[in-house]
Formats: sequence, structure tokens, C-alpha cells
Amino acid sequence: MGDLTTQANQMATRLRDGEVAALARAISLVDSREELGSQIHRAVRPYAGEAEVIGITGPPGAGKSTLLNALVSELRSQNKRVAVVAVDPSSPITGGAVLGDRTRMGEHTSDSGVFIRSLAARGHLGGLSASILKIIDLVDAAGWDVVLLETVGAGQSETEVAEVADINVVVNAPGLGDDVQAIKAGILEIADVLVVNKADSPLAQRTERQLKAMLQLRREECADVPVINTVATTGEGVDELLSAINEKANTKFSTSKNKRLIDRVRRLVAQEAAMQAKQVVLSDQHPATLALFESILAGECGYEEATMQLMTQSYAHTECA
Amino acid sequence: MSASLSEQGFCEKEAKESPLDVAENQWKEDYAKQIGDNNQDIKNMSGITVEPLYTPDNIKDTDAYLKQSGYPGQFPYTRGIYSTMHRGKTWTQRQLVGLGTPADYNKRVRTMLELGANAISLLPCNSGFRGVDCDVVPLPLLGTCGTVVNNVDHMDTCLEQVPIDQISAAMNDPSPFTLFAFMLNVAKRRGISWDKITGTSNQSDYISHFVANHMFYRLSLAGSRRVLVDHIEFCREHVPNWNPMSVVGQHIQQTGATLAETVGFTLSSAIQHAEDCLARGMDPDEILPRFTFFFDVSINFFEEVAKFRAARRIWARIARDRLGAKDPKSWRLKFHAQTSGVDLTAQQPLNNIARTAVQAMAGIFGGLQSMHTDAYDEPFTTPTAKTAKIAVATQNILREEAHLCDVIDPLGGSYYIERLTDQMEEEALVVMAKIDAAGGMYKAVEVGLVQTMCGESSMANQELIESGKKRIVGVNCYQDEEEEKIEVETTRPDPVLMQKHIDEFKEFKKNRSEDAVAKALDNLTRAANSDDENVFASVVEATGVGVTHGEIISCLRAELGFGHPLIVA
Amino acid sequence: MEKVFPNITDIPARALITKIGFDGHDRGSRIVAAYLRDAGMEVIYTPPWQEIEAVVQLALQEDVDLIGISSLATDHLIVPELMQKLSDAGLSEIEVFIGGIIPEQERPMLIEAGLGGIFGPGSSREEIVECAQRLAATARLRKQQAMAVAS
Repeated sequence: MGDLTTQANQMATRLRDGEVAALARAISLVDSREELGSQIHRAVRPYAGEAEVIGITGPPGAGKSTLLNALVSELRSQNKRVAVVAVDPSSPITGGAVLGDRTRMGEHTSDSGVFIRSLAARGHLGGLSASILKIIDLVDAAGWDVVLLETVGAGQSETEVAEVADINVVVNAPGLGDDVQAIKAGILEIADVLVVNKADSPLAQRTERQLKAMLQLRREECADVPVINTVATTGEGVDELLSAINEKANTKFSTSKNKRLIDRVRRLVAQEAAMQAKQVVLSDQHPATLALFESILAGECGYEEATMQLMTQSYAHTECA
Repeated sequence: MSASLSEQGFCEKEAKESPLDVAENQWKEDYAKQIGDNNQDIKNMSGITVEPLYTPDNIKDTDAYLKQSGYPGQFPYTRGIYSTMHRGKTWTQRQLVGLGTPADYNKRVRTMLELGANAISLLPCNSGFRGVDCDVVPLPLLGTCGTVVNNVDHMDTCLEQVPIDQISAAMNDPSPFTLFAFMLNVAKRRGISWDKITGTSNQSDYISHFVANHMFYRLSLAGSRRVLVDHIEFCREHVPNWNPMSVVGQHIQQTGATLAETVGFTLSSAIQHAEDCLARGMDPDEILPRFTFFFDVSINFFEEVAKFRAARRIWARIARDRLGAKDPKSWRLKFHAQTSGVDLTAQQPLNNIARTAVQAMAGIFGGLQSMHTDAYDEPFTTPTAKTAKIAVATQNILREEAHLCDVIDPLGGSYYIERLTDQMEEEALVVMAKIDAAGGMYKAVEVGLVQTMCGESSMANQELIESGKKRIVGVNCYQDEEEEKIEVETTRPDPVLMQKHIDEFKEFKKNRSEDAVAKALDNLTRAANSDDENVFASVVEATGVGVTHGEIISCLRAELGFGHPLIVA
Repeated sequence: MEKVFPNITDIPARALITKIGFDGHDRGSRIVAAYLRDAGMEVIYTPPWQEIEAVVQLALQEDVDLIGISSLATDHLIVPELMQKLSDAGLSEIEVFIGGIIPEQERPMLIEAGLGGIFGPGSSREEIVECAQRLAATARLRKQQAMAVAS
């Protein structure tokens, strides 16, 4: 595949030089899991790592896209080059998707300091995070300072994608039916900054209180999770939000930039590990394993102990396929 | 015998008047007062006298009749908002006109007036809807769907020799209503006092735009709300005979909502606008008499008639019981209807003349106050002078030859229409309950609830068409394989004249006082940022010193927010 | 017309549905966006009134295969300008189709400018989807070939 390697290296060079067409095409190749895409990614991987990756998620109707738009404006006013990667779900039936995030970002389409890419989740049963991370690496290597990763915080795969980001912002708004129940538990766990958007609503204070109460229930370091009020349509509170994000980033990664990258890789490998282990267990027909399942049924062994046993004893020395 | 007769007479004198008699007598009195000179006997072709109104001879349940139907001009106005309706005064013929330069507009509108139209309507160019002036637009896109009006001089030309103190005008212009501001300045120039100005701000219902017509909003949702209430307040004080509020059901129906949903959403919007005004301290009886409605009328003939009857009934009750209005003028749903372009086809276009006639009939039987009929070439182009004349003639034929004005609510009493009216009312109330549960129309639109409901209805309708279940002549049935392509003229403005118009506009900008303009824009900015200054008042002042349409809108967008669609497909 | 598919047939095509010029009536473009989504495409949908420059930037960043323009008024008159700008930006592999009200006498001009399809009122879902899929496949093939040549 000498040809492929040459092609990959050429694309990688053009991408790193800042050519938008090369970046856009490379993203498509990675997104469609093509070999060429993988090679391009590996070629640029050493050069990625500078960009700050901020995840923005939350229930539909919270005003994420509008807030994102305001964040882009704020970052641009600080002369940062901003990339937006917006992930929308694909239809499980047709495989198609309508990617509408650009609807809110009209004012930035003509700004050469802004790059926007809309992605469909493509119904990957797993590995979505890995795919997104590779894409972020490409964007990173192309020289963008900040990458805003937008997902709809509605399901588990979105929670996983959020782990790709260094800092996660979860956006809520008052009056979304069930109020904060709309936030899935998993998302709240990973939130580094919470936002109450549409803060000009009379119900906003109640939402803020509910969020803080939920934080206390779920996390010890709840005091470390700031709750910022914004009105995305007017831009109110957005500079405060950005400050909070930066502060969080400084605290979390005060040791080194490398820590940030290693942490990110660790989270992704953990996800992959969980997925791969799950696949292995599901297809394991070894008599010893089946006997273990019987002993769970008989009450001789608990689920947790049995799993621990399986992991440490049976799989520690198993070759992964 | 004579004893029993006199007994009868004696008994009749003593018998109390029933509620039905009271209502009927009241109607007769009002009718006599209002019909004036038009009080003539009408006989039909067979020599039979045509009464102005028909009622059930034997009403078993008079209470129900009075409660649900009543007499025309009486609460709840199901049969019509006036006691005389079209028999007293025919509907207003208000044809939409919009094309080319102001001179083109003026020429066409004077032709319309000569042909019997008794009101005018101005539709600005698409570039105007987007809030930009002609000097920054590519030439081929100017004046193709509306008239290019960017300053007071342009409006003056549009209205040359049009007696605006006598003729009702509709300005199809959303927030911040610059066209109306231009018109007020023209009135000033001509020494016409503003209390003589009549007409409607035809596209003042920003909610309907955010739901269903991205063509018609310029400012953000919140910004549009602010400017609308300012506009209503200003007109209430300074232009008291103008209708600043036109609640629009047209876009919602055209975007795919069912007819019952349209009534539900439209009336919910009216409630929202009214409540916003009340929240500012206005009295319902100060504002509701100047609320008008604007509906589409489709070819679903009976459903449309029932829709309008139901809408009147629901609104009367809301205005009186929910909004607390005491003046009967506040309870009356007055409306303008436009025949629906959605039903017209590009295939075999001459058939559209028949379609428009049927739609117009539905509107007339539905009790409209004012009407626009589409021309048959609507699917291809802005109408030519020739096709526009046919559209007007259609209305004239229905009035003069079919005598549709002779009887008030002639379909009232039809088993079908009465039942259908009740059913439409029920369906509409279900929709309104949903909107109430969502916190009102403003909130419902903000979160995309209404748009989603309309989108679903739209797709459902599309499926019916594609599957052939909804039959459209010439499109999915009775197609003409060898259809002769009829010559369809495309109307385009003369590029030379349009370029001249642009050049003159550039000259105008060079010659006006830049100081005055800058000062006016500062005032406008300040008004937009204040809590108690009237933005529309500043717009009127600014346009008076030469600030252009595009400049006003840029300024207000910066202060009050740019209008973007609220949800995606 | 024979179907042309590249060897990456399972990957959804990426289409942009948009409106340029000033008209804001988008009921039709929403319906077409839904058609394409239901046919398995990834559709980037924008509100109306997009500037031509913005459309070009979008097409570049999103690496779209296909652009569908909705034009009901006279906005189709500036589509040739869009085609030119796409070509100038190195995006001539992208296929473009248009739907809406396009007078007969103005269609040849559009075909000459390189449009792959023109859909007037009454066009069926099948027609539009078939054309869109064919155009997207053609675009992908051309992109692949262009890349192979470049290396």
C-alpha cells in the first residue's frame, strides 16, 4: 500500500498547512472508517494536542446551539481560531440524518477563523468516541485553537462521546417539561461546568437550585462544579462561562498538557476496554465460564465476584482476537 | 268565535316575549338602522323574494340556537359579525399588488381601483423583507415579487393620486413597520391628519412568521414582541383608525396545519398578543376593536365555511370571558381572506380560475370582510396585468351575477354546516388547550412545539398527495399527456428602469442630511435599549428625516436581535 | 439510466439543502430534506437567505457531495454565480440540483451552467430521490478519481 501511505502523507501535510479542503476530506475518510483515513490520522497524531476540547451537551430545547454560537463569537473576539464539531443522531431505520446545527451559526459561516463540521452518529454500536476523537485530532493538527464538541445529551452514547472532551459543559434551561430530570444521570457525572440558559426566565432560579441539589447528591466535589447563568440569545453570561471553563481547565490540568492528553486517552481506552470485554464475555462458551454462570444462579457466587474472577483469572492471559 | 279570537288576542298581549323573539327583534332593529339606503327588496329569477336572513321556523331549543348561532351581529357572531353583512355592504376587494419600482406599483394600483377594487395593499420586494436596501442587491433579484420601497419618497410615488384619507391601505410589512412609517410621513407631507388613515398592518403577527413563514420576520422573537406592542400603543394614540394588529392564520395553514389547527393556533396567537398588551397596562376595549385577522381560504369548501363560523364563535367568547372585554366591538372577529395559492397547480393552469372562484365562494359564505383572489398564473410568476384583471372579475361575477351578497349566512341551518361548525370548534379548542398547557403561544413557539405539529401535518398531507389519496386534477388524476403548454408570461421588472431607481436612491443618500440621519439612528438605538420609549415612534421620526428601510432594520437588529428560525426541519 | 455507484456504497451521502437569494418560503426544502434523510442521506439543512460565499464555505468544510437549491421566486437567476464560485473554490466535483418554480425559458441557462437536475411542481419523491442518489454517487466517484490523480 505504498500508494496509500504516500497519499496519506500528502494529505497530512496539506492538512497541517491549514488547507481546509484537505481537513474536510480527511474528516470524511476517517468518518467512513477508510484505511486511508486511519493512515492520515496516524500521520498527524503526533502534531495534535494543542487544541482545547470543550464539550457542550444537554437536553433538546436548552438552547445549546444558540449558546454555542455565542461562545464562538466570544472566542473570536479573543482572536482564537475556533472549530465546531456537532454530532446529531442518525435514524436507526434509514441511516439518514438531518444535521441542523448550522442553523444557529449563520453569522460565522463567512468567518475564515471558524470551521464547522456537522457529523451524524451513523448508528455505530460502539467506537463513536474513537471516531470523533480521531476527527478532533485532525482538526487539532490543522491548527485550530479551540474545538467545541456539541452533542445532544440524551443517551448513553452521547455520554461516551462527551468523554472525548477535556472540559464538559452541560446546558440546561428552565421549563423543559421535567426540569432537571431531563438531564440523564450520566451526563451530570461528567459535567465540569453547568449552565442555566434562558436565565431571564422567572423559573431559572428554581432550575439552578435543583441542579445544585442534584450535584450534592451525586458528587463529593460538587462545590467545584460552577453553575453559570446565561442568556444565549443576548450573549449575557457567556464571558463568565468562558472564564469558568478556563479556570476549570487550569485546575484539572495544572500539572501538564500531557496529563490532559493522557487523561483523554485513558478515558477512551476505558470505553474501548468495556466494549471489548463485553463482546468477549457475550461470546464466551468455555465450560469453565459456563460453570461460573451456574454458580451465580445457585447463589454460590455473587455477580461482582464472578466477574472479577473472570477478568483476572480467565482473561488476563487470553490473546485478544 | 269572536270570544275565542279576542281571548287569543288577550292572551297574546299578556304572553312574555321569548328570548328568541327578543333576539330577533333586536336584529331587525339593527338591520333597519344599518342597511340605510340599501334597503331594497330583492327578487330572484323565479320572482321569489329573497329575504336577508333565514332562520329555523320551529326552533325546538331556542336557548341552544341563541347560544351557538344567534343572529348576525349578535354574540357569539357565528352567523356574521354585523347585522347586515354583505347585503348591507359588500366585502372589500383588496388585491395584493407588488412588483417593480414604485412607479410600476402606482400604475397597477390605479388600474385596480378603476376596476372596482376599493382598497389597496402593498407587497414589498423580497429584499425589503430581508431588511436590505436596493443599492446592495443584485439587479435580477429586485422587484420580482414585490415593490422596492426603501424611503418616504418611494412611498410617495407608490401612492401618487391615491386618496389615502379615503381609501383603506394594507401594508404587508412586519416589524418594525417601516412601510407604514413611510406612509405616515407621506400623509404629513400631504397635510392629511393621521386620524383619517385607515387600513391594517397586515403582517404584524410575528408569531405566525416564526411558526410558518421565514420570509416575514426580521427581528428576534423577543425583539418582534417588543416592537409590536410599541406599534399597537402608538397607533392607539396617534392613528386611531388604523388596525395595527393583524393576527395571521394564513402562513400556518399554508405551511400544512389542518384547518382546525389553524383556528386553534391563530386564536391562541391573538390571546398572546392581547395579553402582552394588557400586561403593558392597555385596556382590552382599547385594543381589541383594532385587532383584525387574516386567513387563507382553501378549496375545502364546506370545511372553510365551518372554520370561519367556528372561529367567530370561539373568539367572541374568549374576548368577552377570558380577556374581559366589554365592548361588543372587541368581540367581533373581523377578517381578510386570501384565496390559497397552495391549491393552485402549474399543470393546466387555466383550471386555477375555477379553483379561485370556489375558494372565493367559501370565503364569502364564511363571512369575510375583505378578500384577495389569486390570479391563475400564481404558480409561475407575479401576476401580469391581464391575469390580475381576471382575478378581480371573479369577485365581481360572484357578487353581481351569482348574487352571493343577497343573503346573510345562507348556509346557516344546513345540517352539515351546523354540525361541522361544532366539530371544527371542538378540534380547535383541543389545540388551544395544548397551547395553554405549554404556557401560551409565545412559549410554545419558542420551544418549537407549534412548528413540530405543523411539520407533522404537512408531511401527512404530502403523503396523501403522493399516494394519490388526495386527488388533484391535472396532477395526480386527469392528467393531460398532450397538454399544450400555454404561454405563461413571466413578469420581470424592466432592468433599465430598476437601475435608474437604484441610481436615484444612491443620489438621495448623498443629498440628505447625514447629521439628521445619525441623530435619528442614535434616538432609535436609545429607544430600543430603553424600557419605556416607543420604538415605533422613533422609526416614524427617523424615516421622516430620510433614514432608509435597510438602515432602520440594521440598527434594530443590532439592538433587539436578528431573527433566526427557531427549530430545524 | 444505469446506476453508478462507487465502491463505498454503504457510506451515507452528504447533501446540503439550502436557499440563496431573498425568498424565505421553505416548506418545499424541508420536505426534500426529509425525503433525502429517509433515503439514508445525511442532510445539512440551513435556513433561507444564504449568501453564495457562505454556501461555498459550507460546501468546503462539510465535504458535501450534493447541493439542493430551492427557488420559488427568481433566486434561481443567481445559481450560475454559485456554480462559478464553487468551481473557483476547487469544488467542481460537487453536483447541484434545483427544485421549485423555474420558468421553462430559463432552464437551458441552468443546464448549461452545470445543474444536474431541475424539479418543478408535481415532481415525485421517487424522481427526486433517484436523481439525488445518482448525482451524489457521481460526485463521490469524481472525488475519488481526483484524489487518485493528485497523488
